[in-house]
Amino acid sequence: MTFKSSLAVFSGKSSQFILQKFFKRGSTFPGRLALKIDPKILDTIARDYEIVVVTGTNGKTLTTALTVGILENAFGQIATNTTGANMITGIVSTFLSAKRNKTGKNIAVLEIDEASLPAVTEYITPSLFVFTNIFRDQMDRYGEIYTTYDFIIKGAAKAPNATVLLNGDSPLFNSKALVNPVKYYGFDHEHHAPKRAHYNTEGIVCPNCHHILDYTMNTYANLGDYICQNCGFHRPELDYRLTELTNITNTTSEFVIDGATYHINVGGLYNIYNALAAVSVAEFFGLESSLITQGFNNSHAVFGRQESFNVGDKRCTLVLIKNPVGANQVLDMMKLAPYPFALVALLNANYADGIDTSWIWDANFETIHDLDVTSVITGGVRHTEMARRIRVSGFNPDKITESEKLADVLDLIEQQDSEHVYILATYTAMLEMREILANRHYVNGEMK
Amino acid sequence: MTYTSIKSEGDFPYDLRVAHLYGDLMNTYGDNGNILMLKYVGEKLGARMTFDIVSLEDDFNADDYDLVFFGGGQDYEQFIVSQDLPTKAVEIKRFIENDGTMLAICGGFQFLGKYYIEASGRKIDGISAMDHYTLNQENNRFIGDIEIHNDEFDETYYGFENHQGRTFLAENQKPLGRVIIGQGNNNEDGTEGMTYKNVFGSYFHGPILSRNARLAYRIVSTAFHQKYPDVAIPAFENILADETKGQRITDIKRKVEK
Repeated sequence: MTFKSSLAVFSGKSSQFILQKFFKRGSTFPGRLALKIDPKILDTIARDYEIVVVTGTNGKTLTTALTVGILENAFGQIATNTTGANMITGIVSTFLSAKRNKTGKNIAVLEIDEASLPAVTEYITPSLFVFTNIFRDQMDRYGEIYTTYDFIIKGAAKAPNATVLLNGDSPLFNSKALVNPVKYYGFDHEHHAPKRAHYNTEGIVCPNCHHILDYTMNTYANLGDYICQNCGFHRPELDYRLTELTNITNTTSEFVIDGATYHINVGGLYNIYNALAAVSVAEFFGLESSLITQGFNNSHAVFGRQESFNVGDKRCTLVLIKNPVGANQVLDMMKLAPYPFALVALLNANYADGIDTSWIWDANFETIHDLDVTSVITGGVRHTEMARRIRVSGFNPDKITESEKLADVLDLIEQQDSEHVYILATYTAMLEMREILANRHYVNGEMK
Repeated sequence: MTYTSIKSEGDFPYDLRVAHLYGDLMNTYGDNGNILMLKYVGEKLGARMTFDIVSLEDDFNADDYDLVFFGGGQDYEQFIVSQDLPTKAVEIKRFIENDGTMLAICGGFQFLGKYYIEASGRKIDGISAMDHYTLNQENNRFIGDIEIHNDEFDETYYGFENHQGRTFLAENQKPLGRVIIGQGNNNEDGTEGMTYKNVFGSYFHGPILSRNARLAYRIVSTAFHQKYPDVAIPAFENILADETKGQRITDIKRKVEK
């Protein structure tokens, strides 16, 4: 270790200690400080780790958490960036605070922001990449999905020996040859006659002949068993396959992957994709299904992605929404709720939310007619736009209440007739809401 | 194969048919919201709204439609569309010259002109229904909240721009508005969007019609009058007054530097 990197590590670790000890926070500042002193700090602190990198638009956090749960169960201590600090400063902070694994190999499972990947793999050499999916996200930051895919391929190419585990159901992930070895995971649980995806779906063009793809199975968005009726381009052979959905509710999922049945305490097809990715990683490392099952049981629920708590006598579930595909998946999951509920939708337009709120119009809020929604409350900086979105879906305007301030939204929640409440919130609205909930002692204030 | 994507349910005295040009390929940045707003406003005017996806290898017949929406896409999809467009160009021009009502956003707006240059430098031909043209810019996009004013209608429009192309209008085109906040067509001449006959073009997302109910009303009622010239329609204030709330935002933001 050079003097410069020693100093960087020392400064980073001390600032982390002070921040955590006295301010109860850590996150990205120590990483930023260490990087200032030694820009190549990752080279030093990540050197003797076997690293698994998870990237993609949706599902990074839960896939990472589930993977960590499984690998921890099998190998002991795993380094990971669970606070969602997924850009380069956060990654540095993660390694600074990581505890060494006393029993054997040091393993890190990292979720990395798509655009940051090439910068991170400049200094670390992962042995496995997981690409979850690429959808329209915060377009004001990333641009087009094809650009995003180029970013992550470029990132993976800097560790050319690392295998890339790709979501085989995404046509985009079959559009370019990678320098890395590849393996595919996907759904293989049903098939029907070929048909088109919903018209407002992107990424459905055949990369070979530019015709529009058909699907013999379409889980959601552009994911599924696709085929080009013009040139025969089709989904690659799957290495890891989900063959059956055995029991699906709004709060739990049970399914079969490669002959073994698994159960997770979270609803939503998109979360099953995350579990499938995590199982694929585990199988890649040669783990038995019994170890994987235990690992799932050890996985901690991921902060804010789907969190339940009581507000007075109301049973609330808080779910993060950040882009149309994610929001659609949450709407689909709520279809499975066996009770009527009030729907709260909180829309902010800060940089962390994406400053362009257009995306709520790509989310299929028309689904609301298939849900047992008793009333709607919209809140956040752009509550009027959110209310309009709900109104335009055809929902009864008399049942929509608006309130910019989230504290007032909480009061409104307490006054609802229905016992259940779903709260959908963009990133900063979720943080803000959580803080209010913590101040009122509805939830534990600490982030996991 | 042209197919109906959305249709009003229930009884309506009138009918408006909308072509959603390349609706399965040109649908970025929430522009689907424009379709939903056309439906919402049309129904308030008493019209059953029917939307058809007219895409690759489909015929477009100008007489079949009362309104056309042409959205924007990503470079990749737009290139594919550019190869199919010549087969529809004659009918699209006939629709426009016959005073058909049309809203074209971003890529759709660019395609109506002579050509556009991609970020990569590749030149893509438009259909030359009008004479505007679009140049590229190096490593930059115009991204952020935007506000413009249309002096003729005396209306202010709000939206979010996110485009690489720099468009320059021809003499027979008017801007949709002059820029108050933001960069507009090209960040040089203070124009944003264009109007020509009953065609409205713009770079606005947001989507433009949800953030600007008056423009939505203007466009749908123009199409309605074309088809039902003798039918009186309800005043804006009576059906859409609520929809102007919150259109003007106070936390104006421009792009995030990478």
